[in-house]
Amino acid sequence: MSDVQPTITVDARGVACPGPLTSLIKAYRKAKNGDIIEVLATDAGFKADVEAWVKRTGNELLSLTEENGVIKALIKVTAR
Amino acid sequence: MPKKVLILGGGDGGTILANRLVKKLPAGQVEVEVVDRSDIHWYQPGFLFIATGEADKEDISRRRPKLFRKGVKFTKAEVKKIDLDDRSVELADGTKKGYDYLVVATGSALNPDEIPGFEQGADHFWNYEAAMRLREKLFSIKEGKVVVGIGGLLYKCPVAPLEIAFLAEELFRKRGVRDKIEMKYVSPIDRAYAPHLLNRVIEEEMKKRGIEVVTFFSIDSVDPEKKVVNSLEGDSLEYDLLILTPPQQGAKVVRDSGIGDDEGWIPVDKYFLNIQGYDDAFAIGDATALPTPKTGVIAHFQAATLAHNLAVEITGKGTKEIFDGQSFCVIETGMSKASAQVSNYFYDVPPGLIPNWLLHAMKLAMNKMYWRCILSGMI
Ligand SMILES: Cc1cc2nc3c(=O)[nH]c(=O)nc-3n(C[C@H](O)[C@H](O)[C@H](O)COP(=O)(O)OP(=O)(O)OC[C@H]3O[C@@H](n4cnc5c(N)ncnc54)[C@H](O)[C@@H]3O)c2cc1C
Repeated sequence: MSDVQPTITVDARGVACPGPLTSLIKAYRKAKNGDIIEVLATDAGFKADVEAWVKRTGNELLSLTEENGVIKALIKVTAR
Repeated sequence: MPKKVLILGGGDGGTILANRLVKKLPAGQVEVEVVDRSDIHWYQPGFLFIATGEADKEDISRRRPKLFRKGVKFTKAEVKKIDLDDRSVELADGTKKGYDYLVVATGSALNPDEIPGFEQGADHFWNYEAAMRLREKLFSIKEGKVVVGIGGLLYKCPVAPLEIAFLAEELFRKRGVRDKIEMKYVSPIDRAYAPHLLNRVIEEEMKKRGIEVVTFFSIDSVDPEKKVVNSLEGDSLEYDLLILTPPQQGAKVVRDSGIGDDEGWIPVDKYFLNIQGYDDAFAIGDATALPTPKTGVIAHFQAATLAHNLAVEITGKGTKEIFDGQSFCVIETGMSKASAQVSNYFYDVPPGLIPNWLLHAMKLAMNKMYWRCILSGMI
């Protein structure tokens, strides 16, 4: 997936409260179909949270990786 | 020559900082001026108790000039522009003010227009007028559907929507209408509240009190005519009373001066609070873009750290301290009990404190201590 370029980046590293998922939803509010949202987070709970959110909202999780303690999620907006 | 510290905003952060600075440093060393557009200071946690009828205006407001220690100059004015490179600030009447050190403590501003229909269709208690309108409705509703929860995603006092849900539920019981009112709590994520351990306590309490948690419900719009609230996820809920957190952004002057991010929150160093790229300008409280919750407690601790560090800088004596992200928030759960959220940069998994009377007693004590001990810079 390294060829996919995000159109929106959400840097939620160090965001404990109200949580990186909330930061993602904030970006999603302003996004349109076709946008690729990249979220960077350090909160360990974010992986499960983003998987549940994508499943519930019907958007597409292109990749979910972790490197040096930073979780990176790439989401394609398809449900707006 | 005394050093001039100019503080923009005389709310929690600005007032505590000003009072601590003049307490630490003699007049010959420092000149402290606070500019705020209003000469009334509100104890904002009190808006919750305005809504529930447990407090009145005189309990939660004071004349601002009286809250400053001798030596602090208060100017009532609207700040129009901040120019960090020119080291100057412009007021609405065109007056320009210079400084040796600038501290921006202009808080957060409501932005209800971000959610279509919010203004006409939703209630909140993020200022006095709105809290009074909500009080009327909480005391007059006899039956129907009450929906409470998170509207705007970034808002001051993260626990406030939980508290109003619990306190409204208790009020409906006391009024004898609880069995005719259906209560729902809407949350944009898969649980009522983000921190996991605390969420367990909150959801258990909601279950006990008959408040249904509706998850994955991010507010998209409100239809005030049909009395329906719609989610981004494509669901809708009918309501008779809708209580939501209003969307918020940084102060207008921050947005107009181009010193904030796209929502007007100011990027600062997380430990020393200087505005990124400057060593003579700082931001504290709700105004910053830090990932910490937007609370008075944070504004208080940041003001204490910055007062100490400015004193070190001005006198050349002592060692600077860091702000460690410390936050502490009491969560009123009603029935004379409360839980709390505690966290900092190094410990970001708040424990799930079981609601108890001691934490509730602490919140009541805080309502009193605020004016005399906290704002004055005593503790
Ligand atoms: C309903 C509610 C419940 C809350 N409960 C709690 C709680 O239980 N615990 C807790 O810790 N916190 C609570 N808070 C949050 C707390 O009140 C704020 O986080 C705190 O006031 C932030 O302090 P501050 O100094 O950053 O901003 P503020 O105290 O909001 O002060 C900002 C000041 O800047 C002034 N200003 C802004 N722009 C300009 C301008 N252009 N020119 C001149 N003046 C300007 C404003 O007039 C204001 O006086 C609650 C808030 C609300 C609304």
